[in-house]
Amino acid sequence: MKWKETAGVLAVLIVLLGLPMMLKYWRTVGMIHRYPPNTKVIRLTAVADGGLWTQDEIVGYNYWWRKPTRAGEIALNQGDHVVVQLHSADVLHSFAIPLLHIGPVEVPAGHTVEVAFDANRPGDLTFLCWQVCSPEHSKLQGDFIVKSNGSEDSW
Amino acid sequence: MATAERILTEPVPQEIEKKPWRFDVFAHLPWLKGLVRMRSFQFLVILPNLFLFYLFLIAGFFGTPIGNRNIIIVFVWILWWFVLIAVMMPFGSRLWCTMCPLPFFGDWLQRRSVVGVRSGKSPGTLNKFFGLQKRWPKRLSNIWLQNFGFLFLATFSALLVTRPLVSAIVFGVLILLAAGMALVYRLRTFCNYICPISGFLSLYAMTSTVELRSADKEVCLKCTTKSCIRGSDKGWACPWNVYMGKLDRNNYCGLCFECVKSCPNDNISLYLRPFSTSDVALRGYDEVWKACIMLMLAFSYSIVLLGPWGWLKDWANISEKHNWGGFGMFAAGQALLALVIFPALFYLSIRLGKWYARADDVSTKELFLKYAYMLVPMGLLAWIAFSVPLIMVNGSYIVSVASDPLGWGMNLLGTAEFPWKPLWPQWVPFAQVPILLAGLYFGLRGLHKVGSQLFKDPTQLFRSMIPPAVLLLGVTVLFLKLFIG
Repeated sequence: MKWKETAGVLAVLIVLLGLPMMLKYWRTVGMIHRYPPNTKVIRLTAVADGGLWTQDEIVGYNYWWRKPTRAGEIALNQGDHVVVQLHSADVLHSFAIPLLHIGPVEVPAGHTVEVAFDANRPGDLTFLCWQVCSPEHSKLQGDFIVKSNGSEDSW
Repeated sequence: MATAERILTEPVPQEIEKKPWRFDVFAHLPWLKGLVRMRSFQFLVILPNLFLFYLFLIAGFFGTPIGNRNIIIVFVWILWWFVLIAVMMPFGSRLWCTMCPLPFFGDWLQRRSVVGVRSGKSPGTLNKFFGLQKRWPKRLSNIWLQNFGFLFLATFSALLVTRPLVSAIVFGVLILLAAGMALVYRLRTFCNYICPISGFLSLYAMTSTVELRSADKEVCLKCTTKSCIRGSDKGWACPWNVYMGKLDRNNYCGLCFECVKSCPNDNISLYLRPFSTSDVALRGYDEVWKACIMLMLAFSYSIVLLGPWGWLKDWANISEKHNWGGFGMFAAGQALLALVIFPALFYLSIRLGKWYARADDVSTKELFLKYAYMLVPMGLLAWIAFSVPLIMVNGSYIVSVASDPLGWGMNLLGTAEFPWKPLWPQWVPFAQVPILLAGLYFGLRGLHKVGSQLFKDPTQLFRSMIPPAVLLLGVTVLFLKLFIG
């Protein structure tokens, strides 16, 4: 009987410790390894309340009292292969980078939508929400600033 | 007398009353008995649910705030709720309590064991328990707290069933409360008197097609050890404080099967029985009000969630609309309907029936308590009817969320982007109508059964039944109006 008790306690501990560790591993390591090496993964979440794109994680515990930081300018290096993971914390948004002819891509609430591009030339790449999502829709924009490595012209 | 009236009013023969049909499952499936007698049985059925509920809690705090993309909302309020109310309740009694992870940590603290059993001495038992082992106050030894707790949660249901964080906090609080109470009070006081889920499970378990009972009550009376309630070196004292020798209703048996393990006479078995025929006696006002609250909440939910009145939805939806005045009206109206208006209507129907039947030898209280059984099958089936569209319309969320439980962008099963696709929505009313009519039938049959125990005169029985039967019919018509327009 003693071994059953020990096995039972071990099973509970495995659940209590193993599950968050597994999730943490997926979040920090597993997810990144889905992409080719040297890929720059950027997470952007659209928030209607306040009208902003943020790199902060909007999850259950901070959703109601969130004060997310506006992702105004995101620095990239020329030559970066970029994957943007798009999320919406509330309503249906839409993402576009007009200069690269990317989008508009629908970003439904709770879904993860990916957009990839190569930052081949230095300059500013404005990204924005492409559909009227909320009263503060017009504020939903930001810039990728691609820094030059000295080899090419700007956009 | 017309045939229909004769069928309705004929008293139930005494021999049927005494020996209802039941099928001894353990006698026919000895392996099942062997399984539940294993000390690790309950632990093994709780463990997967512990894993799932832990995942739900993590998802509630750290997953997406979007309800239909978060496992805690989709799995709990669509899948679990439907399985609980439409499958487990009618066909498994309190089977959920067998596998419920909420009191797991409380039990662990109290028993200092997850599988084994400790013999020894604790107040009223022959097991060694830890904690203060205080007795729960007698005044609170009823389901009133569960009634108010459930009504309170139901009032905030728009938040509870759409906001992952709110669901996670509620389940987290219930787990902590169960653990804290296990350290202070004896046995499963939390499950018996506090858990809001347990409250309605206790009521609707009465209708279930399974029961755990002693095979021979005489054996129990002669038993000197009373191990089922006092415990032994083979099983813990009944966590629900039930003595199997006197158990005649499913209400407060949590199907933990400890008595099957501890009974020295091998006198406990699991039985199958017909739906809504055996436990037909409500024994207190707390149980009657529970029946009223549950039926009226099913009604209120049907109005708010399935009805066409947008303003009412806005009132209930406090998290989005922030209309506290409207929400206050909704909350007060719902509480008034469940706690005052419907019980008053039911009481009035009882008084009318008593007056019409000239039933001076039966007290109003007895009639009120006994005839309230009609609300039990009706309430359960109304809840099932209400829950049918939940699973048929929103069931496809289960497929996508199973692949991405936290809304983090996982795709474990390759179905993360499975589209929302209602399953035969045009057939929903065709499923709801027969379920509701079955509720009416079983309600009326229960009314007749308890009535025939009170009245030997068929005319008196018939007359006493008419007003409550009309009330039940009225409720059914209102539900039908809501469901099919």
